[in-house]
Amino acid sequence: MRAAGRDLLLSTRDLREVVTPSPPTPLPGGLPGIQGVVIHHGEFLPVLAWEDLPGGRCLDGPPEALAVLRTRLALPLERLVRTLDELPGPWEEPEDADPARPWLGASVQLGGVVVRQLDVEGMLDLLRRFRSER
Amino acid sequence: MPLDQSFDDVWAECEDLFGQARQTLATLKEPQPAHVVQASVNALFRATHTLKGMAGMLGYPVFSKAAHRLEDIFDLMRKGRLRSTDSLIETLEAGILALESGLDSLRRGRPEPEDYLQPVRRQIGELEAMARPAEGQTQDLTTLLDLPLETLKALSDYERLRVTAVLRAGTPIHALGVCLDYATFDERLRAISETLAARGELISTLPWDLPPEREGLAFLLLWAGLTLEPLPVEAGEAMESRQLVDPAGIPASLRAPAALPPEVVPERLPEGPAPPVVPVHEAEILRLPAQRVEELEARLMTVGQLRDTTSRLLRRVEEADLEAPRALLSEMETGLLDVQKSLLQMRMVKVESLFSRIEPMVKNLSRDLGKPVRLQLQGGELEVERSLLSRLADPFLHLVRNALDHGLELPSERLAQGKTETGTLKLSASQWGRNLRFDLRDDGRGFDLARIEARGLELGLLEDGERPDPERLLRLSLEPGFSTQDQASQISGRGVGMDVVRSEVESLGGEIHLSTEPRRGSLIRLTLPLSRAVVNCLKVRCEGQVFGIPLASVLRVQTGRTPLVGGMRVEVLGERLPLESLQACLGLRDPEAQRTFVVLTQRGGPAGRGSFEVAIGVDQVLGRGDVLLRSLPELAQTPGIMGGSPQEDGILWVVDPEAVLGLAMDSLMRRVASV
Repeated sequence: MRAAGRDLLLSTRDLREVVTPSPPTPLPGGLPGIQGVVIHHGEFLPVLAWEDLPGGRCLDGPPEALAVLRTRLALPLERLVRTLDELPGPWEEPEDADPARPWLGASVQLGGVVVRQLDVEGMLDLLRRFRSER
Repeated sequence: MPLDQSFDDVWAECEDLFGQARQTLATLKEPQPAHVVQASVNALFRATHTLKGMAGMLGYPVFSKAAHRLEDIFDLMRKGRLRSTDSLIETLEAGILALESGLDSLRRGRPEPEDYLQPVRRQIGELEAMARPAEGQTQDLTTLLDLPLETLKALSDYERLRVTAVLRAGTPIHALGVCLDYATFDERLRAISETLAARGELISTLPWDLPPEREGLAFLLLWAGLTLEPLPVEAGEAMESRQLVDPAGIPASLRAPAALPPEVVPERLPEGPAPPVVPVHEAEILRLPAQRVEELEARLMTVGQLRDTTSRLLRRVEEADLEAPRALLSEMETGLLDVQKSLLQMRMVKVESLFSRIEPMVKNLSRDLGKPVRLQLQGGELEVERSLLSRLADPFLHLVRNALDHGLELPSERLAQGKTETGTLKLSASQWGRNLRFDLRDDGRGFDLARIEARGLELGLLEDGERPDPERLLRLSLEPGFSTQDQASQISGRGVGMDVVRSEVESLGGEIHLSTEPRRGSLIRLTLPLSRAVVNCLKVRCEGQVFGIPLASVLRVQTGRTPLVGGMRVEVLGERLPLESLQACLGLRDPEAQRTFVVLTQRGGPAGRGSFEVAIGVDQVLGRGDVLLRSLPELAQTPGIMGGSPQEDGILWVVDPEAVLGLAMDSLMRRVASV
């Protein structure tokens, strides 16, 4: 998938479903890392603000889809690329200086493109930290 | 592109099956007539059989295998090779509980364990070994029935086993021949079968040769029970019955239950008058996934709205009454809300369904650990959303296991401390405002704060020289991997529980609070927001957004004579109250001036402090009304906001009065500090 100006890998273990995006309603007062909420299956679903993550940036255009994580967070996506049954190696660990390291894991070459694995747990920890620091 | 949505129905059905299995096992703890026991065991056999198939379909082979083992035990019971006893039922309850917990874990994406039935592996192994007939010992007493050989050949293996088991137990078997009319035979046969099943055990229904002088269809029903009372016969029908064998006449050697284990006592018989027969009905359950309920909710609302709009407004327009539409619309809104409330009710389950899982577990653990426990349950009638209770079950079971394993002392230790030999475990569920509260209290040894501190230092969670207060130490026990146990016990103490409890509770938007008193016991309190509720709100507008303030916390609405700004004091019924704008409380842009304020009060504050009030400035008061509140998920929880309610023109945010009071005080303090 492509989001926040990067090609990213998301484990299907973390994914609940992919849905058509709808504009999120901002939360009163705002919440760092969260654009707002959308209604999904009758419940509120928070939508990630990529630009609030360290080393992240907003989408280049309107999202093509929302990836709904099992942990009830929606990721707006610029594009869904494809699914992979197996991942080729070798994996390269991220550099210490990489600001996106808290939410992006190792990288791998796929068809000549460097793709980073999304660290969902790391990203959730980051969002929780944003909230507690607020 | 749903990944697992199609399995939602399957998960829901599994939950239902577990619920039914627990309920059926609970009925077997009381003395029941043999046919009721048999029907219950058959129902349990079918439930575990279905669970086995569903687990296979979901791709969980280990779960499927475990369900298969329980299914085998129920099969042995229904074939009469194992009889219903207290210990057998307790083992099966523990087995069902272990499988149910396993299902919860799978649903959370955790891997399959090596053996779901590990807690009862030994007991199940013993049952299997004892019930297995030795080579050449399988008995078949069907030949004792006074029936033609050809008829006996038509009996299935299971029916033969039942005949054998029933005769061994000393119950007579009767044959009921019925001749029924072509036109009504299916209905009548069903009615007769149901009557027989309610009075005893209907073993088999076989086709029967029609007597030459009659027309229609004939059946032979084999029924086990003491006396076959005459059944009502309708016009054109004929019935005849006779006892096929007298069990008293069966040789003692054939009646000896060779395959039964020595410790399996004969089926419990009630003393004194026979208890009322409780027929086992498998409840017909209409399953609706949450998403479908939402869809139904939407459709019902649309239909109701259209119908009322069409019929009532049409009449009013004809009468040219221009004032009426407003009142009618208001009425429509009320009606639709009633529909929503009813639908909301469909999603609710009683907390006692969780308690029913805890009771057998406590009983088993109490026995295994040698710690007598008095379990007190309170608030079982409280209704909560099914999904919430389902997610809470596993953490709660873990907390109960912990309390029994680590909290309560052994009887000798309790006696030495001047306590009663029997420990007490109290579980209560209650509703506090918009929160649900689950308390778990024990009168055991309490948390060992010294050990927690030592362990915290060892794990690097505390720094040398740090003087943590008890609250901080208790919070440490909720950290991942934290355990003060030197060795993992079979019950708990693996250090993989309390953090899971915390994470589950927090993901539900709740909080966990621990308190303890040495040698007096501990309290674990889970506070969870109601995920949905209908809240009567005062609707106000601030900075273009509509907010709802729960009316239960609104003391007064008042308009000031002068422009109001945050930090000033306003006079309300002779008292001067501090004023802050709702915008400042919620982190919105501070308004230049407002005219209206709402007096919020905190009721039931800490003992001795009484309540306190703050005036909250708003741009405009819009009115009042019921709103269907939906809580915010963990990652979207915003200070001062309890939840929201989707409306036609966007989301109406419902403020949390207590939080807003706190935020108002913080804001006022900042104003003072900045002067």
